[in-house]
Amino acid sequence: MSKLSAVRPAFWIAGVLLAASVVVPLLVSTYARDEPRLWGFPFFYWYQFLWVFLSAIAVSISYRLVIHEERKRRAAEGLSADKEGDR
Amino acid sequence: MKNVEWVQLTIVVLIFVAVTVMGFMAARWRRTGELDSLDEWGLGGRGFGTFITWFLLGGDLYTAYTFVAVPAAMYATGAISGFFAVPYTIVVYPIIFVFMSRLWSVSHRNGYVTPADFVGGRYGSRALSLAVAVTGILATMPYIALQLVGMQAVFETMGLGGDNLLAKDLPLLIAFAVLAAYTYSSGLRAPAMIAFVKDGLIYLVIGAAILYLPGQLGGWDSIFDAAKTKMESTSPTTGKPVGSFIPGEAGYSAYWTLALGSALALFMYPHSVTAVLSTKNRNVVRRNAAILPAYSLLLGLLALLGFMAIKANVDIKGLDGLANPQLAIPRLFDQEFPAWFAGIAFAAIAVGALVPAAIMSIAAANLFTRNIYRDFLKRDATPAQEAKVSKLASLLVKFGALVFVLGMDKTISLNLQLLGGIWILQTFPAIVVGLFTRWFHHWALLAGWAVGMVWGTITAYNVVNPATGKHFGGSLANVPFTDTQVYIGLTAFGINLIVVVVLTLILRALKVAEGKDFTHKTDYLADAGDPGVKDLDELLDEGGTGPAAAKP
Repeated sequence: MSKLSAVRPAFWIAGVLLAASVVVPLLVSTYARDEPRLWGFPFFYWYQFLWVFLSAIAVSISYRLVIHEERKRRAAEGLSADKEGDR
Repeated sequence: MKNVEWVQLTIVVLIFVAVTVMGFMAARWRRTGELDSLDEWGLGGRGFGTFITWFLLGGDLYTAYTFVAVPAAMYATGAISGFFAVPYTIVVYPIIFVFMSRLWSVSHRNGYVTPADFVGGRYGSRALSLAVAVTGILATMPYIALQLVGMQAVFETMGLGGDNLLAKDLPLLIAFAVLAAYTYSSGLRAPAMIAFVKDGLIYLVIGAAILYLPGQLGGWDSIFDAAKTKMESTSPTTGKPVGSFIPGEAGYSAYWTLALGSALALFMYPHSVTAVLSTKNRNVVRRNAAILPAYSLLLGLLALLGFMAIKANVDIKGLDGLANPQLAIPRLFDQEFPAWFAGIAFAAIAVGALVPAAIMSIAAANLFTRNIYRDFLKRDATPAQEAKVSKLASLLVKFGALVFVLGMDKTISLNLQLLGGIWILQTFPAIVVGLFTRWFHHWALLAGWAVGMVWGTITAYNVVNPATGKHFGGSLANVPFTDTQVYIGLTAFGINLIVVVVLTLILRALKVAEGKDFTHKTDYLADAGDPGVKDLDELLDEGGTGPAAAKP
């Protein structure tokens, strides 16, 4: 647990990415309009489809950051390569 | 039975038979031991990796009902009631990324099978655990019933049904009897295996529909324009616009609260938790949070089929002669595709109903077994007894859902499912906040839950549908003392949280005893293979004064 101070930057970036991909798609006023259309899709529709991808990318990046930090923490605690546990 | 579509019916029956064989064979798939414990029967041996879980969770969360109801809502009233499903399934994954692996870890360490197990262990309160379990069962039952409604829409389009009562319900009875049989014998492995077929079929069908139909219907521009024209026209019954093509300013709060409230609720449902706990390590669910959005894309495209049905002018009159928007998508396939392909599409919907129905019945059965049977009826139940009770309970749950659909008006299932979403959200503070802090007092959580449940139910009852004059007319109501329309579940959740915080402060000031915490803070970060519960027992003093342990 004492290693927590060392992991802050990665968790910060992941936190901001995740928060953004929750908050921004919910700001309806920023995208509730018809124009510009893309391949016939009104802006309202294609913008939300775009966010499906952006959110998936944000979660992927967060995953990489968090996993990296967790590996470091577990190594510091002498875990991971341990013997079989409770099942 | 005059107008039965034989080509469609043959294809549906063939795929159904194939799926049935798979369901029974699944009992031997990835077998690690006998199927006589809940870990094996109810959680598939707790060994599913990223790939299987992607199909399992996809098949579990994106149900047949969703696939019929979302485009039906788009067809009937447009974006606010239908397309909110897209932001809903966008924001849900970053949210679960944050807390779900903690729930996995603590459940793995302590042998928890249900979310109520965790709540009972975390707060040392059987009352709170029971509240979470009962809410889960109540919310899941109508959801299972609605899977049947999705199937019924398909059968009806194929020409099965009509005035003969037996012929009308027989397909549904057969489908459900078969489903019950292989769920009983194979447990969670059956839906996990069938999910491959279900998801494969769904991707195929939606892919083909999206590539083929716009060309047939005159392009995306004209599809959206037809939808816009319909939504902006005036409804003769209410004198207001039919629906929303793009939400106006008054609809913003409805749109985002529906999305956020549903996202917070989704992983409180017991069937979601069951699928998550069946994974083999802490990171499977986080990896899945990054790749499950593929299904959100699918759902968004599927929603647009509702607009295509508008452009294609489908006939949505049911066999009873009444207009039923639920038929919009089956009818669209029937009208625009060759019979054999429509058959595949219908099979996708029917199989799509089986996967979630199986997982939901397993999840509800696990809740009953662990948090009612074992906590209150038979405290010393062995794992084998638990598995047996759970298997029987899963039969009972499905039978109950079937009686519900056949015996009662469909709108009751719809109302209850609407309420189910509001109810299940009220367990969020106990489960999710409990994963991070134990600051909330367990009596405060129970009181907040009760207030949220009652307030949400009453408010939903008071929503009257302007067209039909019936109660439970929708999931939106004004925030108290304002005229901002929002999702009732989210308001109830807000009130719930306020009650919890205020009562926690009071109870802490009065120094009312807290329950015993049977978890340890290292449990929340544990991964498969870490040193197990043994060393944990040494950290906890045995035989405390709190209510019974929820630990096996």
